[in-house]
Amino acid sequence: MNTILIVDDEYLIADILGFALEDEGFLVEKASNGRKALEALKEKRVELVITDYMMPVLNGEELVLAIREELALCDLPVILMSGAQASQGRPELFAAVFDKPFDMDKMIAKVRELLDT
Amino acid sequence: MAQVLKRLVTGIAGLDALLKGGLVAGASYIIQGPPGAGKTILANQLACGHVRQGGRVLVATLLSESHERLFQYLATLEFFDPALVGDQIQFVSAFDTLEQEGLDAVVKLLRQEIARQQASLLIVDGVLNARVRAETSLDTKKFVSELQGHAAFAGCTLLLLTSARLDEGSPEHTMVDGVIELGEQLIGSRAVRHIQLRKTRGSGALSGRHECLIDEAGMHVYPRLEALYSHPSQPGCASLNRVTTGIDTLDEMLGGGLARSSTSLLMGPSGVGKTSLGLAFLSASSAEAPGLHFGFYETPDRLRLKATSLGYDFADLERQGALQLCWQPTTEGLLDQVGARLLEQVDRLGSKRVFIDSLGAYSRLAADPARLNAFFRALTGELRARDVSVMLTWEMRDIFGSEITAPAPDLSSIVDNLMLMRFVELDSQLQRMLSILKVRDSHHDPALHALHFSPQGISLRNAFEGACGVLSGTPVPQGSG
Repeated sequence: MNTILIVDDEYLIADILGFALEDEGFLVEKASNGRKALEALKEKRVELVITDYMMPVLNGEELVLAIREELALCDLPVILMSGAQASQGRPELFAAVFDKPFDMDKMIAKVRELLDT
Repeated sequence: MAQVLKRLVTGIAGLDALLKGGLVAGASYIIQGPPGAGKTILANQLACGHVRQGGRVLVATLLSESHERLFQYLATLEFFDPALVGDQIQFVSAFDTLEQEGLDAVVKLLRQEIARQQASLLIVDGVLNARVRAETSLDTKKFVSELQGHAAFAGCTLLLLTSARLDEGSPEHTMVDGVIELGEQLIGSRAVRHIQLRKTRGSGALSGRHECLIDEAGMHVYPRLEALYSHPSQPGCASLNRVTTGIDTLDEMLGGGLARSSTSLLMGPSGVGKTSLGLAFLSASSAEAPGLHFGFYETPDRLRLKATSLGYDFADLERQGALQLCWQPTTEGLLDQVGARLLEQVDRLGSKRVFIDSLGAYSRLAADPARLNAFFRALTGELRARDVSVMLTWEMRDIFGSEITAPAPDLSSIVDNLMLMRFVELDSQLQRMLSILKVRDSHHDPALHALHFSPQGISLRNAFEGACGVLSGTPVPQGSG
């Protein structure tokens, strides 16, 4: 069973997305900022990360760079949930970019595509 | 020499006026008010204004509401620029940290974020949740104190938003440098927003309650005019010159016209010709001494037609830049908003003669009628300070009768010149009468005059001789009865 790490300081969004992914049969882990996400990635095997951009401690872009450089997880797909209010971050760093609020079905379809399930 | 505090201009002119220049840089403020009072709009407007002056803002929420939802609402307001978010304005949620780890962890998180974002303004929304999470009032005090300390150390101004109505003895109040309270009051069926600076430590401020509103541009604050101009902003004109009323015979009655920079009140019932006299007054406007019609009732088109019927070409005066017709299409505005608008127009146009039609419409805007006297005193004082000659109207209720209602008590002490207009029934004829009740520091003709309106203008002639009780509207020949 694939595990997905959701990283968002807004717990409500993390919860809603988490419930939807669990309904689809995925295991879900959560972290409220980029630093906590890195700690979780060191401890657990995760097949995909979905991260917010604007977060305390470490933002979405800093997180994806740390995943590649610090943890050397070059193939771990990372989806960005970008705020619709601004084109944040460098999209080329991410496997996909979703503007909030996003269509949940499209997000799940993208997750399935990336995990090939 | 007294030290001048560095200010952080809010970008909301009225609020800066209340704060005597803006928030004190590096200080901490509570913005409190019930849900819907406009705290979040105000805070985000301050954030965007701060960024436009080169600052950086950290907005931390202790609420469970999503930021996206907030952005959707803010996107409808003109001050909000989504491009600022994620760069100069960072939004972070500390709700989860508060829930999971407590107040100390929130302080630690925000301390790190202030440094990371190099924030010069920190906004913490949802302080009520911190209070709920605190076990004792000492915990709340410690939370506020630590946040203040970290913010001040980083040179960051702190705004704490709360929906709780905190009293003066609350731990939060005792700690912060200022408290800004927002609220709303129902006046009849009209809702009027207000703002009050309940505490401003070490800094002057305009005290008391002031009106404000929120529209698509954001929040506007209108300081009480009498507080803003407790002393005239300019020295004014000390000239003894006269200005024409636009009616030769009236000028003669007044001893050569109205004193320059004076305020004159025309009182009379509806239809008696007050507006026509005002139009005559404005017909004497010139490019050097422009006129302004500031009216609530008649549209500019109707005024032009009315002026034409009296032989005045207002369209030509407007083309020359000698006249501006400023119509207030609604009486839903706020008293101080409309007062400020009048002064703005005068400043913008350099107006030297202003006709306000009418004080009654102004009075109907007042949420607190007890203020009217002080308001009119400040308004006319400011117009005098700007060297403006003013003519005002007041509509009396009764068409006939001896009773005279005034728009505010002691009004005669505010105006320099007072003229009464009445309908008079005499010899089965309805006539219009004008009498001068008061001219400050000048002699005047006390006789009652009949008014005549024609396409050649307005004229006055001696009339009603041999009759008494003319002011009541129903005179009788002297000696009868």
